Amino acid sequence: MTVKIRFFARFRELLGTDILTDVTAGTTLRSLITTISQRNPEGHAAIFDENGTFHEFVILMKNGKRIELGDAADTSVADGDEIAVFPPVAGG
Amino acid sequence: MIAIQTGDVDIGALITAAKKPGTGAIVVFDGVVRDDGITEMELEAYEEVAVKELEKIAKEATRQFRLLHVDIIHRVGNLGVGENILIIVVSAGHRPEAYAGSRYIIEEIKKGVPIWKKELTRDGGRWVPGEHGHGGGKPT
Repeated sequence: MTVKIRFFARFRELLGTDILTDVTAGTTLRSLITTISQRNPEGHAAIFDENGTFHEFVILMKNGKRIELGDAADTSVADGDEIAVFPPVAGG
Repeated sequence: MIAIQTGDVDIGALITAAKKPGTGAIVVFDGVVRDDGITEMELEAYEEVAVKELEKIAKEATRQFRLLHVDIIHRVGNLGVGENILIIVVSAGHRPEAYAGSRYIIEEIKKGVPIWKKELTRDGGRWVPGEHGHGGGKPT
């Protein structure tokens, strides 16, 4: 199963974007983001605190729909999913 | 017109097109790159989601404030001081609805549309901090 992860803004600068990765069945949103973000300690620290908990300002989406941070450990990913991870928005 | 694009727009043409039957007031909001000692502003969007969000905001503003026409054009890419970032054009029968509708749209964009800005300076750059009113709920 392949999923795509898109990081934006500061997270993109630290971790890249449009990352295609193979996942096994049962992989959760939280474990996926943890694994990918560990590629760069600074990127991981931008998203998670020292206990491995999401910083409360992080925003997650799966296929364009918002996923609450508290649901990320119970949300599984499936083939073809697009996951987005980004900091608070600042448009306008 | 609802769009996220790199190019600028002809605001005069948008105003002309916004004059739908029954129009008595048109409000134009033009957000520009301010000269805060920066060299450029870099703008980035999660485009597919941002366009859908803008469409939702336009629809809700039209319903709430009885708008006759809405344009929202948000630019991305690198923009210099004085360049247009965001243009909102709304028309309504009367000025209270036009002003309120325009204000509603910009405030909703600031709250939730996935767009980010980075101020570039001679020494580097800095992401403009966004608002984050969410949090709470389940432990993460």
